[in-house]
Parts: sequence; C-alpha cells; structure tokens
Amino acid sequence: MNIFKKEMKANIKSLIIWCCAQVFIIFAGMMKYQGFADSQVDVNALFDAFPKEIMVVFGMGSVDITKVAGFYSVFFLYFMLLAAVHAVMFGAVVISKEERDHCADFIYTKPVRRVQVIWPKLLAGVVNILIFNMVTFAASVFFIAQHNDGNGLIDKVSLTMLALFILQLFFLALGTLFGSILKNTKRATAAASGLVMGFFILSVVVDLYDQLAFLKVLTPFKYFEGAHLMINDQLSFNSAAILLIVSLIFFGLTFVAFNRRDLTT
Amino acid sequence: MNVIEINQLTKYYGKHRGIENVSFSVEEGEIFGFIGPNGAGKSTTIRALLALIHPTSGSATIFGKDCLKYGSEIRRDIGYLPSEVFYYEHMKVREVLNYSASFYDNVDYNRIQSLAEVMDLDLNKRIDDLSYGNKKKVGIIQGLLHEPKLIILDEPTGGLDPLMQQKFFELIRAENQKGATVLFSSHILSEVQKLCGRVAIIKDGTIVRVENIRDMQKHNYKKFTLDYKGIIDVHHFNLEGVTNLTVRENTLHFLFKGDINRIVERLQGQNLLNLLVEEPSLEEIFMHYYQKEELP
Repeated sequence: MNIFKKEMKANIKSLIIWCCAQVFIIFAGMMKYQGFADSQVDVNALFDAFPKEIMVVFGMGSVDITKVAGFYSVFFLYFMLLAAVHAVMFGAVVISKEERDHCADFIYTKPVRRVQVIWPKLLAGVVNILIFNMVTFAASVFFIAQHNDGNGLIDKVSLTMLALFILQLFFLALGTLFGSILKNTKRATAAASGLVMGFFILSVVVDLYDQLAFLKVLTPFKYFEGAHLMINDQLSFNSAAILLIVSLIFFGLTFVAFNRRDLTT
Repeated sequence: MNVIEINQLTKYYGKHRGIENVSFSVEEGEIFGFIGPNGAGKSTTIRALLALIHPTSGSATIFGKDCLKYGSEIRRDIGYLPSEVFYYEHMKVREVLNYSASFYDNVDYNRIQSLAEVMDLDLNKRIDDLSYGNKKKVGIIQGLLHEPKLIILDEPTGGLDPLMQQKFFELIRAENQKGATVLFSSHILSEVQKLCGRVAIIKDGTIVRVENIRDMQKHNYKKFTLDYKGIIDVHHFNLEGVTNLTVRENTLHFLFKGDINRIVERLQGQNLLNLLVEEPSLEEIFMHYYQKEELP
C-alpha cells in the first residue's frame, strides 16, 4: 500500500497535465464542429475534393463528419495516440525509475519481494489510465452535449471509452515489459515511443494501400475503428479478446523478466 | 552460529568478472571487515547477499537461509547502507525515513528522531538540498532505524567529516554491543582496524585471505621514506623485515615489519634531510600479500 500511494503521489502532476491536454483537445475539436455546423457549406463535398491520403492521415477516411457522432469518431484516432503514449511511458518509467534515480538499493533491500514492489506499481498504472479514461469520457459527453442539444451520446461514448481502455491496458503492459527487459529507463522509453510511432505509421499505411490490409493485425491502432464504435455501436469482441490476452502475457513476462534482473545502482 | 555464510560465490557480468569463488563466513555478534581496493568486488558480493543481483554460481545464506529464496524474509533483519546513497529527491528527509520505516513491522518512530539528533541531521530538509555527507547520514539512519540484527555497510564513511565518523563508529559499536552483527566493507585499512575483529581481504574478485585483525597487526608494516643529503648506502638497510626497497635519486623507500628499534638503531649517523614514517597503503600491503603467495 505504501508503494502504491507513493506512485500515485509521484504521478499526480503529470496525470493532471495529460488530462488537461485531453480536455482541451476535445473542447477545441468540438468548437470546430460548431464551425462546420454553422457554415452553410457542404462540408462532405468539400472534403471529397481532398486527396484520400490526407483524409486517411487525419483519420477522416469514411465518415460523415457533419453529424456529431461521425465528427466525434474522428477523435478516436487522437485519443488512441495520446492514451498510448501516456500509458506506454507510464509503464516503462514506473518499472525502471528506481534504477534511473539510483534508489533501487533503497527499495529492493527492504523486506519485500520484487513482485510485491511491481504489483502496486501496476495497480497505480491501471488507476492512472482509468482516471485518464474517465476524464476523457466526462469531457466528451459534456462537450458533445453542448453541440447536440444536450444529448451527450453517453452509450456511444461509453463503448468508445471501453475500447480506449483496452488499448490503454495493452500499452501499459507493453511499457512495463520494456521497462523490465531493457537496460535503463532511457532505452525503455525510446523503444516504447518508437514502437507507438511505428504502430501509427503502419495503421496509416494499411488504410492507404488496400493490398496491405492483412498487416492490420500488427498494429493495435487498427483493432478498433472510431466509426464502428460511434456509429454502428459495435466493439469487436475478437479485437478486445486478443488485446486483453496479449496484455496479460506482457504483464506476466514483466514479472518474470524483472525477477531475473540484476539491479544496477 | 554463522550469520553470513558465503560459498563459492561467483558473478560474471557478461564476460566481465565481478567476483570468483568467494567464500567466507561471518559469526554472530562480530564486526567483520571486508576490505579491498576499489573494483575488487566488495559491492558485488554485498549486492549478491541482498539479492539485488543473481550470482552466476555458488550460494550464500544469511541467518541460515538462502539469500535468493528467502530474500524478503531475511531482509527484515538487515540494515544496509549502500556506498552511494541516492533517494527520491523530491522528498523530505522525514518522508524518506518514514517511507523506509513503513516497510518494517513495529518500528519505533522515536528512534528516527533520536538517531537524527545523534547524527545532527535536519529532518525537515529536502533530499535534493543535502550535501553528500548529509545524504550519507540519511542512509545511516534508514539502515539502523528498524534495529536490524545484521548491519551491512558498504564504504560507509565517505563524505563524513572525522567527528561524524567518530559518532558513526560509536553508533555501530553500540548496535554491536546490543547484539547486532556487522559486515563492514571499506578500502581504508585504518578504519577497519579500528572497528573490526576479523577481516576478509578481496582483490581482483577473489578472497586473498581471512584474518584476525590482531594477526594482521603483527604484520604491522611501516612505510619509510628517507631523503639523503649525499650518496645512499643501499646495503645499510639490508636487514630482516625490510621489503620493497627502492632508491630514486636521493630518496630511499622501504616497507618494514618488526621491531621498530632496529630501524632506529640503523638511522644513527645517517646524513638525512628528511624522514617520513607512514602507514602503507592498502595496495602496498596487498602487493606484499601477493609476493608471499608466490613464494614456494
């Protein structure tokens, strides 16, 4: 419990900053929606004139963005990116920070097993991503309601947030695995952010080139689609199951790898 | 009863040698010195005892239990002061110590206060504002606050001024008298001689020997440096107990072990500019140990 509290306290500031950024993105994004809705221009016709590549990169491949649900579904891509970076960094740092700060000798010579140190750290990670998720949820419902005659689309947003949370878990697990395998925090965070970038680029590439669609399974950013969640109210069970199982495996490997680790001063 | 028993402990970091076949044991209630030059493997041995690293081969027990298997249980009764002390920098001293205490059952929190008073440490300062010596004091207090049965000190005196070193030694002696066993690692022979009953000497990852301090003092080497006015008669000091005799320009160096009066006699009538008698450095003593081993 003491380790959990310590980690929560250590991360509260950065969590607040992440949440503020997220709220601002949703706020600013929905303001733009108001702009679209107010202008009498046929926005769909306007965007049809854009090259497909550009629309894909911005996550606006195939939805009707004049409807609030369609417009909001485009956000999902940005949520995934932000949440992925937040979760993967949290995981990578939380596991390896004692060695980075040269206080591994302090905590790991206490009468606790390494597992007993890792557990509360993971728990703190899950609580942090959950708070990030809930803030995203609350801000989404609030700002959607403002532009949708008071209807916050709670059901649709809830489903989207569930998908987001599963992705967050996956990236947290990925981060902790890097933190426990790689030599130090620097390498772990570098590898983790590099991989997130790689996943993102791959997700854009498979959208651009239909013949590469089979590569979709390799990037978690393609496991859920904003449009499916927000418009069709569908969350792919298979995607959820695969991501959760892989996350569990990563968490398991984190424990195994960390137990074997030679701690540096 | 042996509190620590190390059996053929070996650790390689990849291809780099950490320690090789280290074996020695520490008896209950003694202050045991662990001495060797920097990089000899003292910290590696200690880190393996604390299960911070995994030995390549060999084993070690503390309180009769395997260090790796029963690590968390064993560590309840160990107080450890690392050679380089770093703590969560944004915390206050009091917070770090309370956090440390929260890992143990039945800690007397008044003890933090009284130890801080003895060591003259301000509990309300932030860790990042502390000098190296003051951080070391935090380390000492967090190592002793739970009244451990085994105290492991890795180069504890660096950064402490002589007065603090004195207080620290008194503290360690007092804990020892209350029954704590102490493993004291250092590269400074004189402080080990002051405190310890027995020592293990480690060099290049292997234990050179384990000795009683009394026996060691029998080989009480002195290092002589003689500056001559004129020509040096090298053969003048050719007597039993003199080793490592070297001449450089007008200066004569040698190590001497034995009755000091013999040297004083020989100094009569020598035309000297200066005379220096010192404790030999650990390196010089080690060199001597090695020479002895090489003899048939």
